[in-house]
Amino acid sequence: MVVPATPSYLQVLRLVAAGLASRLAFTIDEIEDLKIAVDELSAYLTGSQGREGSIDIAFEVEGSSITIHGTGRFEPGHKVRTDLTDFSKMILETVVDSASLGQTNGTPTFTLVKSKQLEST
Amino acid sequence: MSERATLGKEEVRELFRAYRSAETPDEQTAAKDQLVNQHIGLVEFLARRFRNRGEPLEDLVQVGTIGLLKAIERFELDREVEFSTYATPTIVGELKRHFRDKGWAVRVPRRLQELHLELTKVVGHLGHDLGRSPTVAEIAKAAGVTEEAVLEGLEVAQAYNFTSLDAPIDTDDGGSTTFADQLGADDEHLENLEYRASLAPEMAKLPERERRILYLRFFKGMTQSEIAERLGISQMHVSRLLNRTLGQLREALEEA
Repeated sequence: MVVPATPSYLQVLRLVAAGLASRLAFTIDEIEDLKIAVDELSAYLTGSQGREGSIDIAFEVEGSSITIHGTGRFEPGHKVRTDLTDFSKMILETVVDSASLGQTNGTPTFTLVKSKQLEST
Repeated sequence: MSERATLGKEEVRELFRAYRSAETPDEQTAAKDQLVNQHIGLVEFLARRFRNRGEPLEDLVQVGTIGLLKAIERFELDREVEFSTYATPTIVGELKRHFRDKGWAVRVPRRLQELHLELTKVVGHLGHDLGRSPTVAEIAKAAGVTEEAVLEGLEVAQAYNFTSLDAPIDTDDGGSTTFADQLGADDEHLENLEYRASLAPEMAKLPERERRILYLRFFKGMTQSEIAERLGISQMHVSRLLNRTLGQLREALEEA
């Protein structure tokens, strides 16, 4: 999915992520956590005000896991932070299984993985 | 602008006379400014009573000031009552109206508002019955709607911007706790809080409950449902407070 790099599209990403998670029978708590992670990582690509360009988001469902890859497609030379703040790390560690922010050939990218927790009784 | 000294009852009445009998717009404005200045403390005092409901205090003071201006326009000098006594219900009324009108931050169709209310109930009941957070399929079945409708309803929750006026605003132990109090010194996460220096001022600006939710979720590892139970509010309410708070902190960090 390629959408403009503006925060107004984040809600759509959240909905897609939630829709996939509900197919995997994630609980509401797990879905809310997934959405928080989508917001947190996407915000690095869009900034709070949006950026010129687009973001390319890929969703993968495998087993009981969802993997989301995000890539920013901006004009060359666009300065975008490519390391997570400590605050983001703390949030992401709490809400998803793994999350990373980095860059490929100068393009900012992120990956997050969240699996359905086995039911504990 | 005049000093914000406290005038006596007679002096306030004198100001009103000056305001009513002003011969030039400038004179009138000056008198009105004095009346506003004289009572802005009252507005701040009343606005603070609403500050734990998720709106910045400055905004509330502005809203309260609108109430004050209305009261200034309506006050009649032949009333025996003191102006501050007269103005209080008008200011409080304006603040309450603000929360009522601004409940939905964006226009949400009635159908979705009702769905949202229904889901809030169903999520609470199901969570209680199951002893865990319910899945979307379980909620859809219980509410008699499709899974897509549930997802839409959950997302709509984010547009609901205010704290129910009935929701508890104090800590459950009845005491007033500060964020610092709640941070146990032995918490392993706290060892690595380099971000604290940059975030501390922003955290301090957050309403008590938002700080508490942040703390319980990310420092104590409680789920949204558990936090909801602990604070006596709905999980969806926790969700939107958390989302909004994280959004605010994100913006603050970006600007830093």
